[in-house]
Amino acid sequence: MLKEIRRAFHDSGAAIKNFFYWVPQATKHVIDETPSSLGHFKSWALSFRGGITFVSLIGLILIPLITQNNYYTTLLIYAMIYAILAASWDFLAGIAGQVSFGHAAFLGIAGFTTAILISSYNCPPLLALLIGAITAMLFGLLIGIPCLRLKGPYLALGTLAFSIILFRLFMSSGWPIKQISGLPKLSSQINIFFIILGFMLLTFAFLHIITSSRAGKILKSIRDDEICAEASGINTTKYKLLAFAVSAFVAGIAGALMVMVNTTAEYGLFDSQYSFYAIVMACIGGIGTISGAIIGALLFQIISLISGYLPFLGEAQLLILPIVLLIVILAAEMGVLNPLIDNLKKLYDLLRRR
Amino acid sequence: MFSEILIYGLVQGCILALFALGFSLVYGVGGILNLSHGGFYLITCYVIFKINEISELWVAMTIGIIVVVLIGAFTYIALIKPLQHSPVGVLIVTFAFGFLIEQFVSFSEGTGSHAIYPPWFYITLDFFGLHLQFFNIVVIVGASILVTVVILFIKKTKLGKSIRAVAQDREAAQLMGINTDRILIISLIISALLAGSVAILYAGNTFQPADAWRTLLVAFAVTIFGGMGSISGSIIGAFIMGYAMTITQYLPGLGQYSALVPIVIIMIMLIIRPQGLLGKKEVK
Repeated sequence: MLKEIRRAFHDSGAAIKNFFYWVPQATKHVIDETPSSLGHFKSWALSFRGGITFVSLIGLILIPLITQNNYYTTLLIYAMIYAILAASWDFLAGIAGQVSFGHAAFLGIAGFTTAILISSYNCPPLLALLIGAITAMLFGLLIGIPCLRLKGPYLALGTLAFSIILFRLFMSSGWPIKQISGLPKLSSQINIFFIILGFMLLTFAFLHIITSSRAGKILKSIRDDEICAEASGINTTKYKLLAFAVSAFVAGIAGALMVMVNTTAEYGLFDSQYSFYAIVMACIGGIGTISGAIIGALLFQIISLISGYLPFLGEAQLLILPIVLLIVILAAEMGVLNPLIDNLKKLYDLLRRR
Repeated sequence: MFSEILIYGLVQGCILALFALGFSLVYGVGGILNLSHGGFYLITCYVIFKINEISELWVAMTIGIIVVVLIGAFTYIALIKPLQHSPVGVLIVTFAFGFLIEQFVSFSEGTGSHAIYPPWFYITLDFFGLHLQFFNIVVIVGASILVTVVILFIKKTKLGKSIRAVAQDREAAQLMGINTDRILIISLIISALLAGSVAILYAGNTFQPADAWRTLLVAFAVTIFGGMGSISGSIIGAFIMGYAMTITQYLPGLGQYSALVPIVIIMIMLIIRPQGLLGKKEVK
């Protein structure tokens, strides 16, 4: 008896010992990798692009802190949520080359899931947000499986059809849940601003990391030449589904955040207008740039800000957006972000040389 | 009820055929997915509606057709041609143009629905015990004439021959001395003309800014159903879709879902037979 216990103890001791032996090994492996990615981050942060990013980030944070104006803060909050949505579209269309016109579906699915979890089950907001986004991701896979047999235009309209089906379904009189209102307010407006800012930075970083990873390269190869990618032995369906899932997940985060900020979820979330806004914003910033989305989103909010002051423009604010998009697409096909940064860099070099 | 379904299904089918024929033509000839196709219909409706307030109906209708033809040509020259090398660019730019048209009309006339009532709208006929509004006959006759003319134009004339040549192989057609830009402008004009003619033939029906997308989706559904770029396929598809929508409208309890029918049909069709009824096998 005693012998057996001792042996068991010895065994477990060995296991623990092995474990402690294994951990440094494992962490060593991790630490071996970290400097390179940290170094990558450092070199990016010191580059011109990184510098511009930090300067604009500080500028973004300073706006609500200096103005102390709830209205501006709210505008910025929505701009950032739209930016997350537009970035998710941009990832799918610009990186993977799969144009979707139905991102509102993900927005609505995640929004309703989050709202139900918070209002009926008293779920903590962060958990509700995650579950909502995961539901959107599963739904994205569900849409993706039939739609990915389609290419280009077929896919675009197939996704549009899906989102319209959901919109009509939630709008129809027989549907049980149309609106969930009276969700608790997250926090004060300025705190919400920082929460959303954090989410935006996280999602942008997430999308950038995926884009620069191996999977991102494969997705770009699928975008540029699908037949060629398939011929080189890439399982294109798998990677396209991955892109769909990632995009739906991020769009779901935007939906959940939107519901939490609005404190209501209603069937209007499924309105195709949201998909259209996302496309317009992403295209103004630049297809395939991910971060360009924030430029489009800010522009969208600036237009609505200006038209708030000029009453005659009030009705026309949605009219301005497609005009801007037409001009941008015709003048600079790949959006304004990259030309803007390039020109800023030229200016900076010019100033420094003097 | 049976004869009603027969007539209204036919009317619906004619309308869908007019939308889908133009859409399919542009896709088949240039590989251009024109997302502003619904906008063409919408702008014609509103131009006729606006001018009809100050002038006679036939003047308004003529101006409406001229405007939509000009817009069709403008779409190709100013928007599609500069971006021809990138399919996503064409998709986005035509989308933006459709969005612009939708926002423009809702800016100037509001998002509510309007209608133009032509004098023949109020005539009803007794046709074998069936109360028939005369404007249904206008739709059926007008659409048949237009579709026949367009098909004859493509099949018989020299210009039609060059349209078919460009559709088959653009580069080879260009080498044979065909001005492909001109052919593409012509096919966009035909498509705009067909979409605009719906506004005239179907006058009496209400329209609202959101119709831009509804129309586009329906045209696209029919085109997918019949097979991308196949003209006979889109006409057959239009009638099947028209009857499917009308029958759903008459089913008890399902009437409100009739607008969903085309969407459900394309989803099923895309999964079972992605190349469409008569389409070539080009989709994997």
